[in-house]
Amino acid sequence: MRFLLILTIGIVCLFSSSSYGQQAAAAPTTGTIKGIVRDTTHNYVLKAATVSLYRADSSVLNYQLSNNYGEFKFTNVPIGQILRIDVSNVGYETFRQKITIPKGESMLDLKTLVINPRNETLKEVVISIPPITYNNDTLEINAAAFKLDSNATVEDLLKKVPNITVWGDGVITVNGKEVKSLLVNGKQFFDGDNKVTLQNIPKNALEKIQIFNNADRNNPLDSNLVANLKLKKGKDRSYFGKIGIGYGTNDHYQIDGNINFTTPKLQLSLIGATNDVNKTPNDINTLVRNSTFKGTGTSIEYQPDFRQVGINKGTVAGAKMSYNFTPDTKEWNNKSSVSADYYFKNIESINNSQNQTITTLSTNNKIFSFSENAAVNNSESHRQNSQFNYFKKNHQIDISETFTTDNSSGIQTNIRNASDNNNQITSTNNGSSTNNSDNQNFNLRANYSYNNYNNWKQRFKGFNLSYNLAMNNRNSDRNEITAFRDLLTPTLNRDFNRNYQTNTKSFNQNINLVVRDLKSLFFGNKNFSNFNGELSAKLDLDNNKNKNQVEDLNGNTYKPNDYLSNDLQTNQAIFTPGFSISKNFSKNLSNRYNKNLSIRLTAAQQLSYQDNKSIKSFQNINRNYNNFVPMASISYYNYQYGTHSTNISLTYNTTIAIPTVNQLAPLTDSTNLYNLQRGNINLVEAKTKSLNLSLYRNDMRNKNTLNFSANASIGLIEDAIIDSSFIDARNRRNNYLANANGSKYARLYGDVRKSLKFKSAELKFGYTTSFNINRTPNYLNGVFNFSNNTSTENKISTNFTFKDKFALEGTQSIGTSSSKQKSLNTAYKNVTLTSSLSTNYNFTKKFSLNSNISLNNNNPSVGETVNFTIWNAEFNYRFTKGNNAEIKLSALDLLKQNRAIFNFAGTNTFTTSTRNVLQQYFMVTLSYYPRKFGNNAAVKK
Amino acid sequence: MKPLKLFLCILLATQSLTLLTSAQTGKIDSTSMVTLRIDPQSARGAAISQIFDEVKFIPLETTKESLFGNIAQLKIAGNKFIVYDYDTRSILLFSDEGKYISKIDATKLQTDKEDKEKAQSYGFRTVNEDGNDYIIIFTGNNVQYFTMDGKFIKKVKNYSYSDEITMSNGDILAKLGMYIKKGKDSTFYKLNVINKIKKDTIGYFKFDTKLYETDDWYGDGGISQYAPNEAFWSTFYDYNLYKITPDKVSLAYKFVLPAINTLPKDFLTNPIYVKKRFDYFEKNKKVIHGLGKSYLLGDNLYVRFSNVFWDKDQKKNLIYNIKTSELISFQDLEPDSLSFFLPITDSGFGYDFENRGFLAFEGGKFYTSYSSLAMFAFKERSAGKTIKYPQLLENYFKTGDRKSNPVLVVFKPKTK
Repeated sequence: MRFLLILTIGIVCLFSSSSYGQQAAAAPTTGTIKGIVRDTTHNYVLKAATVSLYRADSSVLNYQLSNNYGEFKFTNVPIGQILRIDVSNVGYETFRQKITIPKGESMLDLKTLVINPRNETLKEVVISIPPITYNNDTLEINAAAFKLDSNATVEDLLKKVPNITVWGDGVITVNGKEVKSLLVNGKQFFDGDNKVTLQNIPKNALEKIQIFNNADRNNPLDSNLVANLKLKKGKDRSYFGKIGIGYGTNDHYQIDGNINFTTPKLQLSLIGATNDVNKTPNDINTLVRNSTFKGTGTSIEYQPDFRQVGINKGTVAGAKMSYNFTPDTKEWNNKSSVSADYYFKNIESINNSQNQTITTLSTNNKIFSFSENAAVNNSESHRQNSQFNYFKKNHQIDISETFTTDNSSGIQTNIRNASDNNNQITSTNNGSSTNNSDNQNFNLRANYSYNNYNNWKQRFKGFNLSYNLAMNNRNSDRNEITAFRDLLTPTLNRDFNRNYQTNTKSFNQNINLVVRDLKSLFFGNKNFSNFNGELSAKLDLDNNKNKNQVEDLNGNTYKPNDYLSNDLQTNQAIFTPGFSISKNFSKNLSNRYNKNLSIRLTAAQQLSYQDNKSIKSFQNINRNYNNFVPMASISYYNYQYGTHSTNISLTYNTTIAIPTVNQLAPLTDSTNLYNLQRGNINLVEAKTKSLNLSLYRNDMRNKNTLNFSANASIGLIEDAIIDSSFIDARNRRNNYLANANGSKYARLYGDVRKSLKFKSAELKFGYTTSFNINRTPNYLNGVFNFSNNTSTENKISTNFTFKDKFALEGTQSIGTSSSKQKSLNTAYKNVTLTSSLSTNYNFTKKFSLNSNISLNNNNPSVGETVNFTIWNAEFNYRFTKGNNAEIKLSALDLLKQNRAIFNFAGTNTFTTSTRNVLQQYFMVTLSYYPRKFGNNAAVKK
Repeated sequence: MKPLKLFLCILLATQSLTLLTSAQTGKIDSTSMVTLRIDPQSARGAAISQIFDEVKFIPLETTKESLFGNIAQLKIAGNKFIVYDYDTRSILLFSDEGKYISKIDATKLQTDKEDKEKAQSYGFRTVNEDGNDYIIIFTGNNVQYFTMDGKFIKKVKNYSYSDEITMSNGDILAKLGMYIKKGKDSTFYKLNVINKIKKDTIGYFKFDTKLYETDDWYGDGGISQYAPNEAFWSTFYDYNLYKITPDKVSLAYKFVLPAINTLPKDFLTNPIYVKKRFDYFEKNKKVIHGLGKSYLLGDNLYVRFSNVFWDKDQKKNLIYNIKTSELISFQDLEPDSLSFFLPITDSGFGYDFENRGFLAFEGGKFYTSYSSLAMFAFKERSAGKTIKYPQLLENYFKTGDRKSNPVLVVFKPKTK
């Protein structure tokens, strides 16, 4: 919290000083210029004509659009200086005049300025381009009118335009209204991330920015602002990106590269990265987002992850393309595109951990177990995705497909033991294992929807049909060696050396059909007091095959283990027909409000059939389940013109979890005596009844907006499938399963955002909260017990930017978790406090400093309190003419305090785990940002 | 956009069956037809005070009881305003100063046990029967009569709903869509002139009402009476303005528009457009599908062009001087001191004028309205002007806000 306080004080100081500065600057050497723009040919004043004032050196002094009465008025204009006034408007000849406010006067009234329509037959003579123009409901910002340095990006330009704010988090607002979509030449630019667009495209490649509202006719004040960056002709063919190489202490290294290509229809990104500093992006976009020409600023998204456990060497590579079939369309219902990406990832990791676990058996009877693990893993994965979207008028088709394949191998050793209340070791259970696996996945999702709301005469309003297919094939080889030593009763000692060969194949299909608006279908335009109906049908078909070949070392040879070797096939079909009835209550008052309440009740029956075929006769189980799965929802919507809108919805849902064959009748593997999984043939399906409330408020005012959202849910599980564990003094554990009532949960998530805009700075506050509580029943050595678990997380964040000089982001979070078992008389608690501050200061256009620091405090009720601070800092220096090259010095974990200690509370256990982590290093990185927009040469001056 | 209107139109048309002793099909006199070649986009602007003699703003009082959405229908009855609001489905009565008097809402409408639906209003008209004035309200079941103070009188079934005007002191009736029976056959005419003295009815523009079902009709016109014995009438997909006088119906003006605004020649005859008219308008957004209510005041022809798809920059409400051929567009009118620097329509901000045009023409004055949301925005835009508002507006700006009731705008055109 102290960070926040410092931050607030800092901001207050900054403001007071800057506003003081403003006052001092306002000297009596300035005056006012006003006038009216008029078209005398048509006899009307020109609304929204651009009036620009230029200094003698042709640089823009100020500009504005004439108001509804054709008037303009400039204040703070220097007196006695020769200035130039330009008045321009689409379809008119530019009016130009030299003006000066005479010394000794403070007002120059230009009266009526007559501007003449342009004669269409004459060739257009552009004298100079006005900074902004207003044309047919579109505000256009003309890049050429703004003089910035040759390396400036679109973001730099936007920061110079009055009434436009680029916020610290990339959100753009125009007169306080958020720009909902940022396009380049009418299309989404890469993944539509504002940062990628704003921080890469050079200002000089830009012709103009067009800002218009896509709001519909019924809600004219609703903000649906679109900003379209119109590039200069030929500049829509480009490439840009970053290549960086770094080397540091302890032989740490990192290499990353991203290059993006665009043509009018095609966009392609290539990425590659390899390092040993926990910087493994999970997708292509992360790297694209963090390779922008402008640099990362206060973003700490792509930084070495000091929270990640283990020492990891990662290599990734990928490509992504999107192709647009309809590049020039402006209609929302006429769009088709295809996109595809490929991603490769290889991770080598070394993980060491020590765990101490306290297991409570009864009030004064505890088992203390210790384990030490060392693992080396290597995994390699390939992922390929493609998507096709087609949208034309009433038809919408979306097809997407994902194929992944991965190989992994690992080797691990572990030392485990258990002690009793007197600190006496009762047993040890050491082991080692190796495994190799390969896995292939294929997913296909197809969706077709037909909507017919345009033609009010047609009764059939639409339907939705979706099909999902998931295929999986997995092969694995595993060897487990364990040695269990019972120090009290040596006859119970066990040794295993076991080989597993597993092949799993699954084929899952899902079909979903919804026919909407039954009222209209059967009864046309009759009203029925706003009642309506909907039919739905859902079919899930699953086929799973599982082949297990298990061998045990017997003497010098491996002999088949007949018990664990198995061939199991499961077929499952779930059919859920449903009928919904809904009623709408709406209340409208033109230009005042629009309120709607809708209630919907769904009656659905879930019919499930599960058939298991196995070479083990006790696994030949087939079962039918028949459940009523009703749903209900109430949603409320309140739209207050020009001020705000609120959405609230309350949903009741029922879901069924069918016990799997491994829960009903598993094959118990006795290799790890500390964890023997048993089943229960008498298990029935678990039924979760949940109630969810969500709230969303959107502020539509011009500035200082307040937005919030909240989501709360509670659930009750009937016949929950729970653990029933029998643990003996040697920590040998048999886990059976049972059905029990009384399992409950409650969750809350909330989020509040407030933004404030000052003259040259912006401030954003955010608050998020989450709260989880659950009660889970379990049996421990036959005693029924409830475990009550609570966890909370609260976070305040502040984002402050001052011009384009300084950015600061501060967060403070507090997390708590607790677990209580009444019958065992145990309670565990843990509190985590994290404060972080991330700053970015640009000394000059070439030289900047980034620093981020996080203070971590972990305070568990058992075990030591852990405090550590991670401080990272980096200097960036840009050179070459285009600022394309960068040298970066970074110091990470400056205080050398990084540790990883985890506390985890289970139902009757509390574990403290220490893991190996990345620690202090220093690195020098050289980066090059290739950038070219347009066919010829790099960005011109 | 106008499905409800059309639905009602069909409903009303099929119910109106009139029996008269003598009936015939009329001929249109087109001898004095004038062709007007107009490019709406070339229209000029003017100061409001150059076109109008007087502009008055009448804020309609906002109380808990009188709060309503916007004005779907307006009738000036002596010193009262009768307003129909579709949002609240009520008819509200205000004084000529905008003071709320009373309203007729669902609680005052009568529903009988045998009625198919709970009585709800779909609009109103004022009539004079046996020397008394009534507000008659259309419901799905019947027509209900109320006094001018909102008191229920009676219910009537089988009422002829079609719109009508009177001329020659009530001796001549011009009525829209009506069946005329001749022997065993009855024929539907789009326009009918009834002479009560001669006891005859002349039907103009025969129409097959089955076409209402089998095709799409986007209309906006109707009868607009601008003098005691003169009115204009226009019809679907047609740029002709017909003049109704007590003794004849004549073709007065034929508009020729730029090609980009004009319907194809075969629009009514070519089967490719049947049921596809919406698609056609969607693809050709600038096409004018017909004329709206129009008025001839002195030398000035106030004409309204209608199109399905809205384009803010399309000039559609025009004033054409038939002598000088000067063309002025409503959206280019400049507010000046006569209108207290406030616009007289909500064009460019709201859609009331765009959707409905003039709400009324009565006693030589036009009536429009706009929302308080628009009014307060306009006032904000005129900040900096030194304006002395009349008392009514002054009070409204003090006590009202953006959520107050709409404001009526009354303006009197210059006729010379």
